[in-house]
Amino acid sequence: MSPSASNGPPRLAVVGNPGSRRVSLFQDAVAAAGLPEARTVPWVDVLRGGGVRFLAGETVRIESPGEHAEVDRLLRGADEPTRVEGSALWYARFTAAVREVARAAREAGAHLLDAPADIAVLFDKRLCHGVLDAAGVPVPASPTSGPAGAPVRGWDDVRDLMAAHRTPRVFVKPAHGSSASGVLAVETAGGGRIRAATSVERDPAGRLYNSLRVRRCTTEREIAAVVDALAPDGLHIERWLPKATRRGRAADLRVVVVAGRATHAVVRTSASPMTNLHLGGARGDLAEVRAAVEAAGGSWGEALAICERAAAAFPDTLCVGVDLLPLAGWRRFAVGEVNAFGDLLPRLTGLPGSGAEGLDTYAAQVAAVLERARNDRVSTTP
Amino acid sequence: MTGIDHPCSFHDMPVLTLPEPGDERPLPPADATAWRLDCGWDGLDFAAVWKHFLETVDPARVRALVIGHWWHGNYSSLAPVVELIASDAARFPALRALFLADVVSEECEVSWLQMCDITPVLRAFPLLEELVVRGGGSGLSEETLELHPVRHEALKTLRFESGGLPGRVVRAIGASELPALERLELWFGSQWYGGDATVADMAPLLSGGGLPRLRHLGLQNSEIQDEIAVAVASAPVVAQLEFLALSMGTLSDAGGLALLEGQPLTHLSGLDLHHHYLGDEVMERFRELSERDDVHVDLAEADDWDPEDEDDSRYVAVSE
Repeated sequence: MSPSASNGPPRLAVVGNPGSRRVSLFQDAVAAAGLPEARTVPWVDVLRGGGVRFLAGETVRIESPGEHAEVDRLLRGADEPTRVEGSALWYARFTAAVREVARAAREAGAHLLDAPADIAVLFDKRLCHGVLDAAGVPVPASPTSGPAGAPVRGWDDVRDLMAAHRTPRVFVKPAHGSSASGVLAVETAGGGRIRAATSVERDPAGRLYNSLRVRRCTTEREIAAVVDALAPDGLHIERWLPKATRRGRAADLRVVVVAGRATHAVVRTSASPMTNLHLGGARGDLAEVRAAVEAAGGSWGEALAICERAAAAFPDTLCVGVDLLPLAGWRRFAVGEVNAFGDLLPRLTGLPGSGAEGLDTYAAQVAAVLERARNDRVSTTP
Repeated sequence: MTGIDHPCSFHDMPVLTLPEPGDERPLPPADATAWRLDCGWDGLDFAAVWKHFLETVDPARVRALVIGHWWHGNYSSLAPVVELIASDAARFPALRALFLADVVSEECEVSWLQMCDITPVLRAFPLLEELVVRGGGSGLSEETLELHPVRHEALKTLRFESGGLPGRVVRAIGASELPALERLELWFGSQWYGGDATVADMAPLLSGGGLPRLRHLGLQNSEIQDEIAVAVASAPVVAQLEFLALSMGTLSDAGGLALLEGQPLTHLSGLDLHHHYLGDEVMERFRELSERDDVHVDLAEADDWDPEDEDDSRYVAVSE
């Protein structure tokens, strides 16, 4: 029997940064559903080891620890939020903190909406790729997929893996990065030609910083220096599949899946290989993308089904954000990434027919929690 | 055209990428579609796509053909593709339009496309009316765009979309006889990527002598856009034009003023200067020209244009 099967609406708690956009948007959705405010458990308390407590029967949402200077400092052990290196330490500390939250929840008899094991996979692009691949989700080919993937100790390994797998264009990504931090889009051709696009800037001392600009590196030496500095944190390599383009801009989709259903989708377009909005990406027109897919003989339903299959690889997590890449020609798709905290899409309402029409991503999740609570009551009533 | 993109239409027909074998969708009439062939990122090789095309669509009725991504795995030369198309020319008596290398940077940077001598298609299709070629000379690769002077009676539209158009190719165009040519657009690109054409290379085009029907001239995307503008300001060809494009390059006040103070442009219906580095005063004078003489002037500035920039860094719209 589920602990939430007690009478009355579920009591909610959220582990997050109080006052952050994410927590505020979630609280707005909780209030709109007529529920009492969710109890906020600050990450900063979890990370300082102050003894996190949950209540019996509480339903606990785990939110992103991002956009909080002190939390960031505790996780990274450093004061430079734009610094690229240090993601392995961030990952170790964050997953440990999530495990601590899970332990406290288990002890209290509270129920988590995000499984610690899922979060540990979602924040390791190598493991995530392996899980998706094993689940039959289309993903770009990768030599670093899964626990048995090839280790990447530096640029020499990247170059050798590209050659061994006959893959002249790859994305090199820090295994634990987010928001395109530290990502390089590398392309090579005969005659030793090489080029990479990245938002990483390297200072004279060799330290790496995220910038808001995608720049081109055109020498192997420059690319090697960046990759070598990133490698100690772990690197994931994927084939760079050509994305579909419209008016000279490549497009991809962020599709939010809540309780197994694709509920929300946005298009991002960019003239550079990275579509992230902070790197010059722009919102695109979903109807236009859908029309392009259908005109090319592709299936929009299949596109959403791929996202749902990707989310189904994380069955103990209520909501994920899937980055879906429509490939050149608009007929085929691949999943680029699955994000544990990929639901920050303020004011975006649900897709027609998704069951989340008129609801934003947070309201859709609250509705899913209420639905589960109802089902639990029904299934436990003789 | 303002940049590298997959065209939605070509030769006044919608572009349709040939469905893969096994795709059972009904196909439109062969003569109402610009057929695009694409090996995709994981599909058949080009020879197999070509075979599938010949078996699926009646080649005798095909009027327009667009060649997309043609390599498999590592980039490869366009030469075998050109050879295949030229050798099967007899099966395409209705072909009037050909687009070579409709590839965008997500698939391969324009400067890395392994181009070849494209003269064989002009020789094999004497009735061709429209030819578009993307790609150029990379400056590094053996596989570079080549053209030999030809006489072609039917060609009306010729466009080279290049990040580096070799001077050799520009000279070959100048040395060709193209009596039917109405529209010529050349994207010169950057010297770094093989775009080494000089204004002297363009001389036969500027004289207009060999191009009696030319009405639309684009000398675009150039690092020497000011020099080109100065030459155009007194070029005999301008009198016969309806449309002039000096866009996508590094046009600054020097070139802009030369145009304004050169021969009259008032007979033009359109003057395309988009992606320029003109100052406010010169832009204002072009606006006057636009309003007074009903010349449509496209004055969209270059995205990276910063008048305060002391380095005076100016870039062409398409290079790498």
